[in-house]
Amino acid sequence: MKRIRRFLDLGNLRRFRAIVQLVTFVLLIYGAYFAIDLGSNMPVLSCGYDRQNGGMCYLLPLQHQLGRPLGMLFSMASIGILVGFVTFLLWFIVFNKAWCGFVCPLGTMQDWLTSLRKLFGIRYSSYNQTQFNRLKVIKYVLLVLLLLLPVAIGAGLIGGEWRAAFCQICPGRMITPLFVGDFSQWTIDFSSKTTMILTALGMVITGMFLAGSFVKKRFFCFFCPMSALQYSFSKFSILKLKKDGGKCTKCGDCYTVCDMQIKDIADDVQSRDILRDDCTLCMKCIAACPEEGCLQADIAGFTIFQSTKEGFSKRMQIDRPGGDDERA
Amino acid sequence: MNARNDHTIETPRERQGRHKAMEAVKVLDTLREYAVNPPEAMEYFYELHRRYHCDMTPMHEGKTKVGTMCIQVPYEVIDALGAAPVRLCNGFYTDDEIGGEYLPSKSCPLVKATVGAFATDHFADAPDLVVTPTTCDQKTKATGIVEEMGYPVYEMEFPRVKESEESREYWRRSVRNFTKTLSKELKTKLTRRKLKASIQKVGYAQTLYHRLSALRKAELPPISGNDMFLVTNAFFFDKTEAWSAAVERLLIEMEARVKEGIGAARKRSPRIVYTGSPPIFPNLKVPQLIEMADAVIVADESCSSNRLFNDMVSVDEWFLYDMVDAVADRYLKGCTCPVFTRNDDRIRRIVELVKEFSADGVVYQAFAGCQVYEMEQRSVLAAMEKEGIPILYLESDYSPSQLGQLTTRVEAFVESLKSRKRRQ
Ligand code: SF4
Ligand code: SF4
Ligand code: SF4
Ligand code: SF4
Ligand code: SF4
Repeated sequence: MKRIRRFLDLGNLRRFRAIVQLVTFVLLIYGAYFAIDLGSNMPVLSCGYDRQNGGMCYLLPLQHQLGRPLGMLFSMASIGILVGFVTFLLWFIVFNKAWCGFVCPLGTMQDWLTSLRKLFGIRYSSYNQTQFNRLKVIKYVLLVLLLLLPVAIGAGLIGGEWRAAFCQICPGRMITPLFVGDFSQWTIDFSSKTTMILTALGMVITGMFLAGSFVKKRFFCFFCPMSALQYSFSKFSILKLKKDGGKCTKCGDCYTVCDMQIKDIADDVQSRDILRDDCTLCMKCIAACPEEGCLQADIAGFTIFQSTKEGFSKRMQIDRPGGDDERA
Repeated sequence: MNARNDHTIETPRERQGRHKAMEAVKVLDTLREYAVNPPEAMEYFYELHRRYHCDMTPMHEGKTKVGTMCIQVPYEVIDALGAAPVRLCNGFYTDDEIGGEYLPSKSCPLVKATVGAFATDHFADAPDLVVTPTTCDQKTKATGIVEEMGYPVYEMEFPRVKESEESREYWRRSVRNFTKTLSKELKTKLTRRKLKASIQKVGYAQTLYHRLSALRKAELPPISGNDMFLVTNAFFFDKTEAWSAAVERLLIEMEARVKEGIGAARKRSPRIVYTGSPPIFPNLKVPQLIEMADAVIVADESCSSNRLFNDMVSVDEWFLYDMVDAVADRYLKGCTCPVFTRNDDRIRRIVELVKEFSADGVVYQAFAGCQVYEMEQRSVLAAMEKEGIPILYLESDYSPSQLGQLTTRVEAFVESLKSRKRRQ
């Protein structure tokens, strides 16, 4: 038991994560080629516009389902909706926001763009705290719109061209299909003024996604409504990010490495459950914390990864002086 | 033979050297005398302190020496630029008395002693440049005095509020500016490779310290607190590689001791966490009193030991300026220095150390004249009371005169801890 514990804690998280991300990326983007279908209620932006996907983003069906005439929405016919929602929840409850850090193809793509930037030797940029606080509201606004617009369609308040409005502006729709050689989404839909504006906006946002994630780590995740939706349920998850405030020295190492600039991870010494809404549960903070057992990831009470002094020294390559100079 | 070597009248400087050597030797001898099972690997440190403080043997000949007045000066940066960081915080009573002529008599003995050494230029490794961060008032004000004495001084601006993002940015900027200036001064370019190597070198030393510390959790701590202060204080001036090698040897011996159940104290010796103004060689007055009264220091929260090593640099992307910022963070964020507006962090650290090292009590020393530690006394005492941790507060200075009174208080405290232990 102790040996397993130590093995896990000393693990090379960076490599492990890169491998999981690659495997799940292939699974979700190309799954259909291998006859894999995980359904259409995935808690990640695995885009439904990719015809070969092996599991699909829940936001697309959600928008469609909510867009029914109101009478129908509150009838037996909505059992299907409920089933979809429960499936989404079940997926989510097991892995919590680790879906973002380890599975979401859109998240993975951003990490690849980050690697590309590193290859060029360019430094990342970051938001200051004021900008950060302003930005973090956007994803909730998007989520509310995403839920309200379809209902408004159902109620006959706005036209059907608003259907799946978020998908129209989501970069997933344009980028993901490229991986299976499908360029069909790269057009502006002139069928109505609304669709024209939305698809044009989609183009702009996609451009921003590519440029943004090149300079800023996880640029898009700050705005992602899926992240907001997930967070609404994250209290129920069995995978937890926990902190023992008594052991924390507030050294800020965890905050420095956090792609999502979550300041609480370092400064909050009161919360036991330290998961914040922007968190992608990438666990980089745990790997970077030099205090024994200060940060940990628990699944149903069982610790799967925790900060240790030894693990820290190993990952920082300081356990032996003059360690190899690998570009991390 | 020339006339110089012939004369027998001692110059003031020679007398100062002799007095300092006497102070140092006395401490080393007492430590040897009272040591329970003295570790062999400690000889390196005893000898090192003797060579440096009595024989005035320089450690960094041929290198530019950057004298630092506080632990907040980023060691990694200086080292990466090819210079030798030498911490000048001083523990000599002889120097304290000389410094008293330059500073108000009520100022902190540590600062007075440091200024005293400058006044007489009495260094084994004389600094080519002095760096002072604006931490406590006394150090800040000493900057001007040292500069007037003709030393080139660089001021590093240090924030007094730690929590805000602004102060983090402010300190990062201070460190970047320092890096640029020093690099210009030394005519060396800071490279990614060199800084990474320094971070790793210092990080490795820190790892060794942590491993050594962890052994003190044992039921019988294998090393005494005083020896530990000798080890950590040696980092002020020793070459990092040599220091690490010596600690590696010490570690091997200590690990073996823990296995065999050999300790540097007795089984019933009360375990103490030391906090407050930093014990700096040879001013180990209070730590010595504690351990001579049959207690053992198992951990400390002070800037001459634990705080020097505790927080480590963590880098996400190994680019030059990422590393510089990460180094800056190491010195500010985790620091429990009392100069900051609030001291919650310091209190949390002390409580955690008491728990982690199963300590029986805390000894809190404040140097007379050290306003910040004196002022924090109340809140720390209150917090310890709340936690049910016995604590002794002492005010002391470098003079050997008040030893009697201190001894009585320390002994009484240790006795009370013992009877408390018996009752449990
Ligand atoms: S466009 Fe975005 S929200 Fe819509 S299905 Fe694709 S990834 Fe999901
Ligand atoms: S927050 Fe990022 S990783 Fe998570 S679902 Fe959204 S895009 Fe994917
Ligand atoms: S890295 Fe660990 S010790 Fe440092 S601030 Fe974060 S949680 Fe606290
Ligand atoms: S808080 Fe930790 S797990 Fe969450 S995003 Fe930041 S580094 Fe990753
Ligand atoms: S002991 Fe107090 S006054 Fe003296 S240098 Fe330290 S903080 Fe300043």
